[in-house]
This record gives sequence, C-alpha cells and structure tokens, in this order.
Amino acid sequence: MSQGAGVEAVLALLVITDLLFLGSSRLRSCVRVVAMQGIMVSVLPLLLHGGEGVARAWVLTAGGVAVKGMVFPLVLLRVLREAGVRREVEPFVGHTLSVLVGASALVFALWVEMQLHLPATAAGPLAVPVGLATMLIGLFVIVSRRKAITQVLGYIVVENGIYAVGVALVGGVPLLVELGVLLDVFVAVFIMSIAAYHISREFDHIDVDQLDRLRG
Amino acid sequence: MEAGALIWVLLGLPTLFAGLCLALRSTRQVLILVSVGGAAWGMLAGVAACTFLATAPAAAARGWLHVDALSAYHLLLLGLVQGASSVYAWGHFQGDAANEGLTAGQARRFGGLWFGAAAAMSLVLFSNNLGLMWVGIEATTLLTAFLICLHVSPLSLEATWKYLVVCSVGVAFAFVGTLLVGASAQPLGLDPSEMLLWTRLRASAPHLAAGSMKLAFLFMLVGYGTKAGLAPLHSWLPDAHSQAPAPVSALFSGFMLNAAFYCILRVLPLAEAATGDRGWARDLLIGFGVVSILVAAAFIAFQRDGKRLLAYSSVEHLGVIALGVGLGGVGTVAALWHTLNHAIAKPLAFFAVGRLGKLYGTRDLGALAGAARRSVCWGAGFCGGLLALMGVAPFAIFMSEFQVLRAAAAARTFGVMALFLIGTAIVFVCVLRHVIRTAWGEEISAAAPEPVRMVDVGLVGGALLCLLVLGVWLPAPLANALSAAAHVIGGQP
Repeated sequence: MSQGAGVEAVLALLVITDLLFLGSSRLRSCVRVVAMQGIMVSVLPLLLHGGEGVARAWVLTAGGVAVKGMVFPLVLLRVLREAGVRREVEPFVGHTLSVLVGASALVFALWVEMQLHLPATAAGPLAVPVGLATMLIGLFVIVSRRKAITQVLGYIVVENGIYAVGVALVGGVPLLVELGVLLDVFVAVFIMSIAAYHISREFDHIDVDQLDRLRG
Repeated sequence: MEAGALIWVLLGLPTLFAGLCLALRSTRQVLILVSVGGAAWGMLAGVAACTFLATAPAAAARGWLHVDALSAYHLLLLGLVQGASSVYAWGHFQGDAANEGLTAGQARRFGGLWFGAAAAMSLVLFSNNLGLMWVGIEATTLLTAFLICLHVSPLSLEATWKYLVVCSVGVAFAFVGTLLVGASAQPLGLDPSEMLLWTRLRASAPHLAAGSMKLAFLFMLVGYGTKAGLAPLHSWLPDAHSQAPAPVSALFSGFMLNAAFYCILRVLPLAEAATGDRGWARDLLIGFGVVSILVAAAFIAFQRDGKRLLAYSSVEHLGVIALGVGLGGVGTVAALWHTLNHAIAKPLAFFAVGRLGKLYGTRDLGALAGAARRSVCWGAGFCGGLLALMGVAPFAIFMSEFQVLRAAAAARTFGVMALFLIGTAIVFVCVLRHVIRTAWGEEISAAAPEPVRMVDVGLVGGALLCLLVLGVWLPAPLANALSAAAHVIGGQP
C-alpha cells in the first residue's frame, strides 16, 4: 500500500469513528470508539514520516497508542463503573440529528479549507478538513450532551482533531513539544475523570446540565 | 550568578518545594513551608527579575528558554503575587476544618499544587518556544483545578468542572494557533527544531505568511483569551474565583490571568509585523478590551457576593490592559503599568474579603456592613483595595487608567474613549456604595473580634503604601523597565 492510500484510509476511519461516536448512546461503546480514533490518529506520523526521522515517528505513535488507546479507555470505563451510568439519556440534540450535524461539520470544514489557501502538505488535501471536522464534532458533543464523561470524550475528540491538523500542517513540531502536549492531554483527561468521580459521589449523578447553581 | 543558571534555579526550586510538601506529615509543617518557601521564592524571583532587567536578554537550554524585558517584568509580578499570597495563606488556613482549615491531606495537596502552579507559570514566562509556552499554560490549568475544590462541596465541584472544561477546550484552540504559526513560518525555511522559537520568528516576522498568521492570531486570541478571562469568553472566571480559597483567588486574579495574556502579548508583534503593521491585530484587542469593560461593569452593578464582584472586576481590568495594548504607544506602557497596579490591588482585596468572610461566615456584601469597625486591619484593606480598584485618585490604578485614556485620545478613537469612561463610571458608582456600607454602614451581624497580627498589618499596609506611592511617583528603574517591556511588544513609541 502506498503512503497516500494509507493516510487516506486513516482519515476515512477518522470520519467513520466521528459519526459512530455521535450516533451511539451507550457510553461504553462511545469510550471504545474514541479509543479506536485515538489509535488511528496516533498512527498518522508513522505513515507520513516513515522515511526520515523514523525514531521520532515511532516514539510519537507508541506514546499516542499507549495513552489514547489504552490508558484513556481504562480510566474512563472505571469511572463509568464507579458512577453506575450506562447511557447518555436524552441529549439536548438527538442522536440521529447529531449524526446529521456531524456530516454538516465535515462539509463546512471542506468549505473552510477551500477558502483558506493553506500551504500544500505531505498529508494530502484531506487531512486538514478532516481534522477540523473532528474538532468541530468534539466541540458539538461538549455542548450538546449531559453526562460529564461524554464531555471528557468530546475533549479527547477535539484533541484528536487538533493532532490530525497539526500533523498535516506542520509535520515537524519538535518532539519535546509533542510529548509535552501528549502529557498535558493525558493529565487533563485524568484530572477530569477524577473530578467526574467526585461529582458522582457528591451529587449521585454526573449530569453536568444540573450543575447550574453558580450564576450572575 | 549566571543568567542561564538563575532560570533553572527559578524553575527547579518550586518543583522541589512541591515534592517536599507532598512528603511532609502535618498541616502545620506544610503551611510553614508554603509561607516561608513561597515568600523566599517570591523574593528570589523579584531579585532575579531586577537582574534580568538590568542586563541583556539571556537564554538557556539551547535557546528554548529565554528572558527579555517583557518576561522579566512579568516575573517580577509573579514573584510579588506568589510571595504575598503564600504569606497570607498561613493566616487564612488557620482554624478548624469547618472554617476553611485544612486537614493534613488537604494541606499536602494544597502545597504540592501551589508550588507546581508557580513552576508552570514561570515556565510560561521563560519559554521561548511557543509550543512549550502552550504546555505551560495548560499545565497551570491542570495544576490549579483542584485548588478550587480544596474544600470539596457541590458548589466548588461545579466551579472546578466548568474551569477544567472551558479552559482546556479554550486553550486547545490556542494550540491550533501555535500550529498555524508554525505553518506561517514555512516561507522562512527554518529547521523544525527552531520553527516555533519566538526570537527566530520575531527576527524575520515581516516574512511570515500573512494569511496563516492572521488565522493563528485569531485562534490564539480566543484560546488564551478564554484563560485570561476576556469577555465574552469569561464564563468560567467568576465561578472559579468565588469558590476557590482566597489565596488561590488572589493568585488567579493577580497573575494567572496575566500569564495567559502574556502569551497574547508574545504573538501580537508577530501578527502585526506579518500583516504590515496596519493595526489589524491591535484593533481586535481594542474590541475585546471594550467589550470586557462593559460586560464586567454590567455584572458588577448587580453583584452582592464579594468575591464574585472582585472576579468581575478582574474581567474589567484585563479589559483595560487589552485596550491599552491595543491602542499602542503610551497605551502599551500604561497597560503594563496597570498590570502591576492590578497585581497589587486585587490580591489585597481578595485577602481582605477572604478574612472578613471567614470572620462573618458569609461573603454577602450586605452582611459585611460596618465590618471596617469590627476588624480595622482587614476592613481598611477591603475598603482601600476596592477604592484603588475602582480608580480613585491618587491610587496608582487611577493614574494608569488615565494614561490609557490619554492613549485613546492620542489615537483619536473617541468612541472607544466614551465607552471606556461609561464602563469605569458604572463600576465607580456601584463599588463606592459597597465601600461606604462596609466602612460606615450599620452592623447587621456581629462577629467576634480578631487579634491583630503584625503579618496582616504588614500585608495590608505594604500594599496600600505601594499603591499610593506608585500613584504619585514612578521610580526611574520601573519606568525604564516598563518602556523596555513595551519595546518588546512593539508599536510606535
């Protein structure tokens, strides 16, 4: 398989996981889908920079797969178990409509990409719009769902999108910065999970729309 | 000491203290380390900042860490706020668990995160690499999140959650901006390891790709602006500031917001030079500044909770700073000076409202009526701090706001000038009401009198004295530091 075909396959899988995530109400499968997506984006540097800087690409891919593909699902599934929630009940926007919103986000991202005239990159023309659409979909999930865990998943999806855009746009951000970012994302998800756990203990639920006592 | 080594000491010392705090056994030990270690580190940071200001820009770690006048000036503020808040924390956390005291576990968590936040904020100031700077800002969010819910309660958890989600997502946008800066640097043909180095980008800023740079600035303004509390991106700010313990609120307001704004100040000259110095990026800052002032004024008008009032006041003052920088010229110097004045006045007000709140068991401003007679020291601190914050002459904030106004007049932006005056006038009238009630109002609830401690008197007296002196006399070294820092940001002198 040529390099371009590999990248395009990954990007297609990114879109599919986005839509699966939007359409699923069972939180456990949402966690798994997002973990899959994390593994997908982590493979991108390896596919793009297989030739030069192999060691760097391997480090990034290994780190990404370990954090996004293994640690995140473990932590999040544990919080789900502790909090005793299974489903995203009554999201503000229904699941079918959410999938439609996701598809529109993709169209919008393609349109934005056409307006921007960004420099051409090794990742081909699709990487930036797909990354942008993934970011938008993550944001949409954060504002349209009730459960704290779904918001954490939305945050991870935003980060995945940014990662795809970053790999496509610049490719060569220094390794130290990449690792720092990965560490920050890891700690962020970890801390959000702890906070969600505290919320479930204190309130007996993790419905963030009911966290509305601080006003004015 | 060599400048490079000094940078490492300033970064390493708080990290070491953070580790030490986690290893200590009792609340008392941790609080002693926090107040003594924090004050010592604050003083060291102040001395180091003066050294850096007196010498040429210094670098370490192969150019990844870098200090120039702008970062040295902000380091001075960080040392000031962190040192004062650490000293104050000792008195604030005394008492039993029901009244904001700490258990040993909570104290360890506080100490570790407190010093961790200091290290992260110094990293932001020292990093020359825009990516590393982002890592530092995100780290401050993560480290300070659990300081808000140090005392776990439904309200503090709510504030923590909002803070985490809003700031993490906001700051994620700033990372897209950082990547776009990298994309706009491609015409320069830099080595990947040097692509995000600010000094390199600044040296050849006119050759950056204008389109990508514009987009990058927008993303960074929105991202870091969320963390800096610029309206309308400030939704997390009043909740976090009102629920956090007073020393943490003081650190948030006195410096953490400025640390995020500092990142915007770093990108501003890049964006301006890349777009041909036509004021494109500065106009955006003016817009955000004016909106922040007006939105904050509207919320201050109807605020009854003391800490929320101060939180909205931070939105207002960040707005003034953004406005000053946006106007350029005298405005940039005035904005930097305003940052210092705000960093003195706001922690003072938070300290006072924190202690009065502990004394009265409430932060409702109505219930604090007559508090200045009950607790002379903190009452004076509260009234003095509020008077300074609302811009009463001859306090220094009046002078710096006046300079911003002068810059607006010089730029002939009379609409902006009018909106700025309306906003500050609303704040003036509404806050004055609270000051009068606290100083001379009839007491509603009686609180037990508190022994006056020398440390408290020192904190209140020192802050008020600084604000008064700076209002009438700007020392020459400080004036030089201000103009050197403003020179880094650029714009016409």
